[in-house]
Amino acid sequence: MVVPILKQGDVLIASMQAALSDQDLVHFRDELADRVGRFRTRGVVIDVTALDVLDSFATRTLRAIVSIAKLRGANTVVVGIQPEVAFAMVQLGLNFEGVATALDLEEGLDLLASLSTRSGDRGR
Amino acid sequence: MNNRDQRSAAQTLMHEMQLDEGDLERRKKAVGLAAADLPRIAAIKDLVVQGADDYTATFFDHLGSLEEGRSFTASKALVDKARQLKRDHLLAMVSGQYGLSYVEQRLELATLYANAGLQPRAFLGAFHLLITRIGADIIRRFERSPLEGFDNFVSLRKVAFFDIGIIVDVLVFERERIIRQQHEAIRELSTPVLQIRDRLLLIPIIGVIDTHRARLVTEGLLRSIRSNRAKVVVMDVTGVATIDSKVANHLLQTVTAARLMGAHVIVTGLSSEVAQSLVALGIELTKVNTVGDLQGGLEEAEQILGHRTQKDGRVASAGREE
Repeated sequence: MVVPILKQGDVLIASMQAALSDQDLVHFRDELADRVGRFRTRGVVIDVTALDVLDSFATRTLRAIVSIAKLRGANTVVVGIQPEVAFAMVQLGLNFEGVATALDLEEGLDLLASLSTRSGDRGR
Repeated sequence: MNNRDQRSAAQTLMHEMQLDEGDLERRKKAVGLAAADLPRIAAIKDLVVQGADDYTATFFDHLGSLEEGRSFTASKALVDKARQLKRDHLLAMVSGQYGLSYVEQRLELATLYANAGLQPRAFLGAFHLLITRIGADIIRRFERSPLEGFDNFVSLRKVAFFDIGIIVDVLVFERERIIRQQHEAIRELSTPVLQIRDRLLLIPIIGVIDTHRARLVTEGLLRSIRSNRAKVVVMDVTGVATIDSKVANHLLQTVTAARLMGAHVIVTGLSSEVAQSLVALGIELTKVNTVGDLQGGLEEAEQILGHRTQKDGRVASAGREE
């Protein structure tokens, strides 16, 4: 199961469509890390709306992606976490600190835009 | 038709109370009802069958003489129905068959009692009198071998206690049903999620938070965040009298879960007592955005949403100047 990664301007949009195996996740991470640099990406949106479960490995991988993308110069937002998933993650005590989250794709793009203006301001 | 309705009601009740074969076996064991009792009961079968009308009358006469039973005996239709069922009961008691269909009959009668608001003590008194009457008749018949008569009576009494167990359980179950319903109603009423303006939700929490309620609050909030596309949530805990480490943990979980969905949570209305006890307990709520009161929380929320908040007075005076 390959996760499609779409390029939209300077943002990459990856939409997870089904529960991924650990191997798929690792592959997804590597792929994304590669593309972030290749397309001079400033932001990444990972859409997990279709997922009804996020286990510890997926959580860890997402955190890793956030750190990797940051090191390569892009902010990442995870969008579309379902209510049940959010509740389960909290109950299981999964650590999602440092990961920006937003309600859906639209919100995520807004958030990325505000993040990049802020860092742009800082750069100037 | 009516009869069929009651039958199916008894079956539903049986299901709700989880009365099945296994449960019946345990109940029989509890009163010591065993295979050895069946021939003894058979020995007094004709006696009970002959006197069934008499015994039934004893039962209802006694109920009628009691203050507690009067509300029940006042309705003639009800009593006639109960009389019929009671008579059937006596015949069934000596039939030697104490399976699921027997219990179903017991439930039917017990539901009748429960709906009529019959007090357990009145029922127990009347039933005791009835059994005593039967006992007296048995002893009279077995005058020559009192020991055998007593054994037979004891066997019948086991069935009686088996019945009492079921009927009392039904009476208690029906009473608790009301409590359960009210509990449910309170829970549903107590966790409203209100949309104050576009993308801003208010969730006032009032009363005691236990694990179950905290879960409901969290689930309700998360669902509302999704359906209302909320960005900011103001959680007001003015109505929560005490917050211990458990409740604080629930709050923290809710805040974290909401954040995962991209919503920002502001907790307001922590009273001075609550704040002091939280500090004394060493509970860290630093990750949570807390604001003194609801007004402050709403102002903060509007700032996050990008609305400009102005003091009422200034707006009014500006209007007058123009």
